[in-house]
Amino acid sequence: MRPLFLGLLATSALTAVVSPALAADPAAVTKTYADIAAAGYEDSLTTAKTLQAAVDALIAAPSEDSLKAARAAWIASRPAYMQTEAFRFGNAAVDDWEGKVNAWPLDEGLIDYVDASYGKSEENDLATLNVIANPKFKISGVEVDATKITPELISGTLQEAGGIEANVASGYHAVEFLLWGQDLNGTGPGAGNRPFTDYVQGDGCTGGHCDRRADYLKAATDLLVTDLEDMAGQWANGGAARATVEADPKAALSAVLTGMGSLSYGEVAGQRMRLGLMLNDPEEEHDCFSDNTAASHFYDGVGIQNVYLGTYTRVDGSVVSGPSISELVAAADPAVDTQLKAELAATVTALGAIKSASDGGMAYDQMLAAGNKEGEALVMGGVNALVTQTASIERAITTLGLTGTSIEGSESLDNPDAVFQ
Amino acid sequence: MLLRATLLSFCLATPALADFEQTLSDHILPGYATFAASTQALADAAAKDCKADDLKPAFNAAYDAWLGVQHLRFGPAEADGLSVAIGFWPDPKGSGAKAQRALLLGDPAQLSPEHFPDQSVAARGLTGLERLLYPAEPLPADPCALIQATTLDLARMAKIINDNWVNTYSKTMLTAGDLGNTTFQTRPEVRQTLFTQVVAALEFDKDTRLARPLGTFDQPRPERAEAVASGRSQRNVLLSLQALRAMVVTLTPDAPLTLAGFDRAIKLAESLDDPSFVGVATPQGHLKVEILQQAISAVTDTVVSELGPELDVGVGFNAADGD
Repeated sequence: MRPLFLGLLATSALTAVVSPALAADPAAVTKTYADIAAAGYEDSLTTAKTLQAAVDALIAAPSEDSLKAARAAWIASRPAYMQTEAFRFGNAAVDDWEGKVNAWPLDEGLIDYVDASYGKSEENDLATLNVIANPKFKISGVEVDATKITPELISGTLQEAGGIEANVASGYHAVEFLLWGQDLNGTGPGAGNRPFTDYVQGDGCTGGHCDRRADYLKAATDLLVTDLEDMAGQWANGGAARATVEADPKAALSAVLTGMGSLSYGEVAGQRMRLGLMLNDPEEEHDCFSDNTAASHFYDGVGIQNVYLGTYTRVDGSVVSGPSISELVAAADPAVDTQLKAELAATVTALGAIKSASDGGMAYDQMLAAGNKEGEALVMGGVNALVTQTASIERAITTLGLTGTSIEGSESLDNPDAVFQ
Repeated sequence: MLLRATLLSFCLATPALADFEQTLSDHILPGYATFAASTQALADAAAKDCKADDLKPAFNAAYDAWLGVQHLRFGPAEADGLSVAIGFWPDPKGSGAKAQRALLLGDPAQLSPEHFPDQSVAARGLTGLERLLYPAEPLPADPCALIQATTLDLARMAKIINDNWVNTYSKTMLTAGDLGNTTFQTRPEVRQTLFTQVVAALEFDKDTRLARPLGTFDQPRPERAEAVASGRSQRNVLLSLQALRAMVVTLTPDAPLTLAGFDRAIKLAESLDDPSFVGVATPQGHLKVEILQQAISAVTDTVVSELGPELDVGVGFNAADGD
């Protein structure tokens, strides 16, 4: 569902923002925003390349250790990427692309073998397609030759096959599934437990079709790197996404706050956190194969705070920072800024508490168990903090007098009669 | 009596121009009162007799009442995810049927008023009850106890929302802008919240209630419509549009294009004659539902371009922002 986001058509005009002599300049704020995006996607790319090398090593010499190293590299690739999620809503270039790299949840039976308990999906006849076991199959009546598993096959044919979003063939979660396998522990302890022998070629191969599984893992990882290269380029100097925000700093301010609010409320608090809790469904966790969900939520919270404060600590420890939207809001209404800063920090603390509990042995899926009151309180602590900050993000939009953009693809607005013909 | 007294005081306080005070007194409070009464009637009926056919009228009355307030996804309905539990849909993974099967075959203690509210939202609410009253295939056990538990739970949730509005949240809304009101720091924040509900509900009608069964022209998906089993798919869209129009009228007397847009969409929804959207499988039927979808899209645009400026607000964040 595409976010429908407009700022308030409210009281104060942008002139109120730029007039105070001490206030930051929207163009400078926009530059900081784009710089943080560039650094974040670059860090996502470098950590994905490390993952790529670890995947190559796993495929070349499958062992407990090489699988463990590949999993560790995947975990290490997540913090940088999750912090970039604050750029997703509000920037069409990111939102249109995002599904390729971080789509979720997935019907993983599309890709590889699954447990008998996986069952059938009433809505997705490809949910148990198992591309790894089947070099030839039909999608929507069309014969597909998947003899060679390539990045092009994954992105062009398998991703969202049949127009069904749950057919996630690419991105972090496809790679995650291939490294961990299904987490069959329900809301009990333990993550996915795919054996390294799933990648052993010839004798000793488990799960069948180890050659094709290795091909899939390789192709999906290479595709992830290529896709991240694309987005890092978009925000580098001269990149298209950077050019878009720099061309209209006022719209960029709206993008900053829209991205913060949409990610906070509808996406993380709603889809990713509260829904899973209300369904008591361990598969309704973002990193469901690896049990890395708590960390992913935490870095979403950090990412939202980053773009507001105009500062990002890179993977190498260096800091990218500059004039921030916080300064603009503070110049217009210090109380709004103070409250929002406090709430963003409270969210990071609440999500940090979930991460600490997860690091301490209560994995995120265990928190979703019916009757786990401690887990429920932890998750709801994060949800409530995210919901609370959303109201203040709306106030910041009002404070800056940011009028909206238009609804995407709104043909009927331009030509109201057309739709009745 | 409390409700009546409260309503009276709101009427006295209502200014001549429509504003959110009127939305509260004429739309929100009566809507939740009706929903609470109809779910209580449903629970009472189920306690006496849980035969599916006998309960269908009370079920449909409660569902109709829910459509009158379903779009209000903030405040008491949002607290503890009650609105999600009352009308959990869509359910692409079939979680509800699975969870209900486990409840039907499992420990009856799970159905007690103490434990049932802890069960998955997919197994509860109106959609859960619909699967028990209109089963697609024979149920694995006698559903009587589960039907009774589900109706009691619905009445419980409806009462919580209604009581919370009457006793607490009305005041929160009416004191918007007062010092110490942290929910609504200004009066425009209330208007923005209500306006956002209208836009988000229209988007839901268009992108979920209609787009799911429409699928594509080549691959229509009638089985993905809402409330197929009870044949309410078309009715739900119609009642949703009527409720939204009624709410707009309370917000401002001056949004003629918006009301005209609603009237067009409502007329199309009324004349569809396709109760569970099976018609989308035919070219003609598909086109008709698409035309309704376009009309809803058009009224959404009009809401944003006319009603928004009229109320001096824009669309706020809402639950549909995510994926």
